[in-house]
Amino acid sequence: MNFARIRAIAARKFASLRRDKRTFGFIVIMPAIQIVLMGIAIGQVPTGLDIAIINDGATGMGAIITDHLVDSESLVVHADYGSVAEARDGIEAGEIWAALHITPDGTLELHLDNSNQQVSATILVEVRNAMTAALEEQGDALPLAVAQPVYGERDPAFIDFLAPGIMTMVCFMFSLILTTMAFVGERYDGTLDRVFAAGTLPVEVLLGHLAAFSTVLIGQVTVVILIAVYGFDIPINGSLPLLFLLALLLGWSAMCFGLFVSTKARSEFQAMQLNMPVMFPVMLLSGILWPVQALPGWVQPISWALPSTWTAEAFRSIMIRGWGLEHSEVATAFAFDLLFALLALAVAARSLKVRD
Amino acid sequence: MVAAVECRALERGYGSLEVLRGLDMEVGAGSIYGLLGPSGCGKTTLLKVLLGRLVPWGGTALALGSAPGEPGAPVPGPAVGYAPQELALYEDLSIGETLRFHGRLQLLEPAQVAQREAWLLDFLDLPDPERVVGKLSGGQKRRVSLAVALLHEPQLLLLDEPTVGVDPELRARLWDHLRTIADGGTTVILTTHYIDEAAQADAVGLMRNGRLLAEDAPQALMEPHGHVSLEQTFLLLCRREGAKT
Repeated sequence: MNFARIRAIAARKFASLRRDKRTFGFIVIMPAIQIVLMGIAIGQVPTGLDIAIINDGATGMGAIITDHLVDSESLVVHADYGSVAEARDGIEAGEIWAALHITPDGTLELHLDNSNQQVSATILVEVRNAMTAALEEQGDALPLAVAQPVYGERDPAFIDFLAPGIMTMVCFMFSLILTTMAFVGERYDGTLDRVFAAGTLPVEVLLGHLAAFSTVLIGQVTVVILIAVYGFDIPINGSLPLLFLLALLLGWSAMCFGLFVSTKARSEFQAMQLNMPVMFPVMLLSGILWPVQALPGWVQPISWALPSTWTAEAFRSIMIRGWGLEHSEVATAFAFDLLFALLALAVAARSLKVRD
Repeated sequence: MVAAVECRALERGYGSLEVLRGLDMEVGAGSIYGLLGPSGCGKTTLLKVLLGRLVPWGGTALALGSAPGEPGAPVPGPAVGYAPQELALYEDLSIGETLRFHGRLQLLEPAQVAQREAWLLDFLDLPDPERVVGKLSGGQKRRVSLAVALLHEPQLLLLDEPTVGVDPELRARLWDHLRTIADGGTTVILTTHYIDEAAQADAVGLMRNGRLLAEDAPQALMEPHGHVSLEQTFLLLCRREGAKT
């Protein structure tokens, strides 16, 4: 392996990338747009949910609960439904999402339009919080007390769970897209023949491309982390450099895989197609949108074969738990990503033949 | 005569398609060898075998004494210069960047590259080295492609259709240059469509259907048939071949 050749290939590829301003802009701006959109669109708490309260309560509890619900940002409380029957008609007509009936003996009865699970869950949380608060004001308490959590906040937002996953997905996908087309053209327009005629080894070609793309990767990862941390105010309790390093490693594993795809694809269109069987499992099976633990048992081994699964878990551990490399979950993610990258690189080097 | 390139019963194709069917060829060191033949007769495939890009299915091919691509063989490597038919240039690089890229690939010192670059720009009548390759004319691109092949002064030059779209004056200059480096020991194999041009080569191989119909010095090829041109000689050999099968 010759370092001068790797450097020559990296410099050439970098010059191409820099010159193609439109593509260069695209590959730096797209991850930013994607993470902003996801942060805005997914995981925030719904607001402006109309609910009715029918207070038939004889005690002061009903009034206190009502006050708390009126104060809630998520709910818009309507007190003009006179009876449960009227409120249920209102739900049926789509005017309100729910009706809370405070019965004469002080118990609560919730009537729901249960067609949207996230909406119902939000309403239930609000009602429970109001109830807990009302009980506290009366010097009473629910028989269940949630102590200060060991990790995470008392009132965790879904976005806190999601952000590490989205960061994983964005870093992985854009690194993959960036590299899959790397030398599809070169393999067919004769330029690669020329590079090989000089005695260049496939691994030198791959490492040269990897080095050039790494400059883009560093930019992408920086943008993604900055937006997540400062744009969406996601807490980072652990080490920022560690997070950055793991994001780079994940990017490299995706790039090495992308380079492998690039050695196989016959056209750029085909390269895009070949990405799909990887993109979807990464998106759906890596515990990015939903916990891996919720997947059927036979699917879980697939999850744990993806670097994105290990990385998303480790991102969460670093960001929320504040863990470092001393924890095996974080260390394993580093090791797995590195192993995956090296393996993909080796497979790509075998696939990119000088001799046919 | 020492052979720089030697092929014996060489066979190679793609999938179920046979392209080279038992080709025999011998190119003397320090000579210019013109490979003539119609499109699809296997010229480019032959060059790719000599470059070590394609592995023979049968027979042997030796370039500079070794099977190309075998461990320790000089080809592929800086010993060979290659200008493919399809130009194979990075369209987004400037002429200067292209030459410097290939110079570094060939492990030349920057000073050497600068010296060669200056000479080649002048010799091949190339425009401003800052100009981007993608915006050059077809003929200019072909000359950049030639510059890349000549850059590191290789021992063996494989040129696939080097003179297409190049003006006659420059074509004559190129042949002069090839003659000079051949006298200095460089072996040149070139393919061409211009049959008359090949008459300037030391030896000509007439190729058809993956085989050489004949291989000799141009004069020696023409004489026995009493014909005045290579064109007619080729035609006669083709007819004779056709009658045999």
